[in-house]
Amino acid sequence: MKIKRSEMPMTRRLHALRSWLDGKERRLGLVTSLDGSQLITLVLDPRNRSAECWETPVEGDQYPSLTPSMPQCHWFERAIWDLFGLQATGHPRLKNLFLHDQYEPDFQPLRTAKKPAGISAAAHRKYEFLKVQGDGVYEIPVGPIHAGIIEPGHFRLSCLGEIILNLEIQLGFLHRGVEKRLTAVPWPKARFVAEAASSDTAVGNALAHAVAIETLINIECPPRAQHLRSLALEIERLAMHIIDVGGIGVDIGYLGVAASMGRLRGNALRLGDLIAGSRFMRGFILPGGVFRDPDRYLPAALQLTRELRKSVEPVTAILLDNPVACERLADVGRVSTSLARDFGLVGVASRASGINYDARQHFPHGAFPEHAPPPVVETSGDALARTKVRIGELFHSLRTIEKLIESIPSGPIQEKLPEILPGGRVGVGIVEAFRGELIHLVFTNNNGQISRYAIKDPSFNNWTGVSIGVRNNLVADFPICNKSFSLSYSGHDL
Amino acid sequence: MLKLLSYLIGQGVATARELFPALDDACIGMPTLTDAPCQGSDCHACQDVCPTAAIQVAGDGQGSFVSLDRGACIACGLCIQTCPAGTIKRDLSTKTAVRRREELVLTTSARADKPGQPEEAETTKMFRQSLAVREVATGCSACDLEIGASGNPVFDMDRFGVSVVASPRFADALVVTGPVAKGMQKPLIRCYEAMAEPRLVIAAGTCAISGGVHKGGYAEANGVDSILPVDVYIPGCPPHPWSIIYGISLAMGKKV
Repeated sequence: MKIKRSEMPMTRRLHALRSWLDGKERRLGLVTSLDGSQLITLVLDPRNRSAECWETPVEGDQYPSLTPSMPQCHWFERAIWDLFGLQATGHPRLKNLFLHDQYEPDFQPLRTAKKPAGISAAAHRKYEFLKVQGDGVYEIPVGPIHAGIIEPGHFRLSCLGEIILNLEIQLGFLHRGVEKRLTAVPWPKARFVAEAASSDTAVGNALAHAVAIETLINIECPPRAQHLRSLALEIERLAMHIIDVGGIGVDIGYLGVAASMGRLRGNALRLGDLIAGSRFMRGFILPGGVFRDPDRYLPAALQLTRELRKSVEPVTAILLDNPVACERLADVGRVSTSLARDFGLVGVASRASGINYDARQHFPHGAFPEHAPPPVVETSGDALARTKVRIGELFHSLRTIEKLIESIPSGPIQEKLPEILPGGRVGVGIVEAFRGELIHLVFTNNNGQISRYAIKDPSFNNWTGVSIGVRNNLVADFPICNKSFSLSYSGHDL
Repeated sequence: MLKLLSYLIGQGVATARELFPALDDACIGMPTLTDAPCQGSDCHACQDVCPTAAIQVAGDGQGSFVSLDRGACIACGLCIQTCPAGTIKRDLSTKTAVRRREELVLTTSARADKPGQPEEAETTKMFRQSLAVREVATGCSACDLEIGASGNPVFDMDRFGVSVVASPRFADALVVTGPVAKGMQKPLIRCYEAMAEPRLVIAAGTCAISGGVHKGGYAEANGVDSILPVDVYIPGCPPHPWSIIYGISLAMGKKV
């Protein structure tokens, strides 16, 4: 995939982005900076399978915020403030995102450009929750450590009686400095760091990393490896969708479904063992191809996939045929199509709100778009719709796994790569991970070293969806709403 | 409801009978050292490919010396694939957890005098029959998913007397996953302080043991034992559910 790089003056940026997003199905990929002296805006045109990277120089340490006109910029601008110390003026709720008060006030980890004199960022780490005022309004703080076996994050629910008026989500507890580390290690070892950004999406991250490096070098990996990559991606989707549907079973108290799905996920992970040598398929996908050829295990994998379909079908039917279960999920955490579009939601959450966007249909990764299954789209935008999308997709994944194994071409599994990356280039990997569109954007300096590595996890877009969805819901519905999005904390926090 | 019951009965018993079996032959497993002599520092291919600097090679010929830190290993399998001498091979055992950090460091020369098992502490005896576990996640969620899987019908951690509880107040042991970067250090310490004594700490996964791929960064994500005293280390990236249950059993002082 080609990526077009161009200069975009600050004065034209708003207009250009607005007219880009007016275009049919065009999207904002991500907004970031390289070193703190410019803004990088990655915009996507899925229909034409192309992307553009706009570079906007920033004078001083401030730039006009795009959030008031384009709300989906709000989270990106907060991240840029944290990592680069660039302040978006006019942003209605500019506060820190990753770096809490444990960090020095003027610490900006990715900033290498010189700071203009006289800039004080003393208020930077002070975090204030939005105060909802009025008689009887009270707050419920939840986290960062949660009651279950899940990742940490803080939820501040402002409630009136049993009704949630506002949910503010404070993340960043898992910030491990992944993007900085990716520029510090030798590039052939960077794939392990990229995977660890969020290892429930290990395959998605490894694939986005590999595609980004390959577009940067401008090579393609062999067809057999492409098939194996898609195979791994669909196994990951299958396993995670199964456990996420099971998680809904846990939260609505339908424990037979929950236990069955927990058990069946093990069979999906067994596919990972066969194909890649580990349940999470760590280290399987690498730039240039895949780590090993699982040829002798493919018949067993095919057999296992067929058996798995037979065992999953009755469980999902038992869930969806049960009117009590469906009523419990209906109308919980509803996100309208227009809000989903305005806030740039991706993946399962966006398709459940009627947006027909699945990166597998558009951007080349693995054997996609050629072997991409059709998108599963629902329109009601609630927890039930998200569950139905997951169930639809897991059956598509099962079918895709079978097809990929049956039609796998023979040939080599690795392409030889140069020891030093070409200098002054940019590469992008866009992957439909199981949660949605995942982007890795890589820049090299003139010496061929990775100078900036940006990751946009699908959860980065979708956390706002949880806040929107849970508004005016019952407090008791919050866990179901949250589970139905099933977002990543580590992928967001990096 | 009847449909569900008939389905569940039709699926039979899912729970594994064999405890702590070795991983399947298709798996990469973790690396271990063999008696095959290393080619020495002329080669150091394993050291070069290791993404987490878990391997050190020194000396030449007969005097060569390899040290392999499983607490830093992310089980990528590159060293096993690369080693020309067969000194490093894969190990499919799920009984990988240890009580002392230094037991995770394997060496070729000092293999005769491996550190023995430490004396059993008085506290471990108390937990032999049952252990209430609180889990705190600080990493990439893979280890958390595997701890979750340890409770599923296949592995069924409950049958070993282990229950996962929702508050540190009820907990005997704290299982920590992830490298504990700056953002989670304070919450983790507060969680530990909220537990009644005696209490155990289990570091699950390579990040929790050493920081893994994150070690040395600005977020100070260097593992649990720089912050809390650790009783059991479970290596793996992520550790298999059997390895996790083995590690917890070890913390309980069970004979496994």
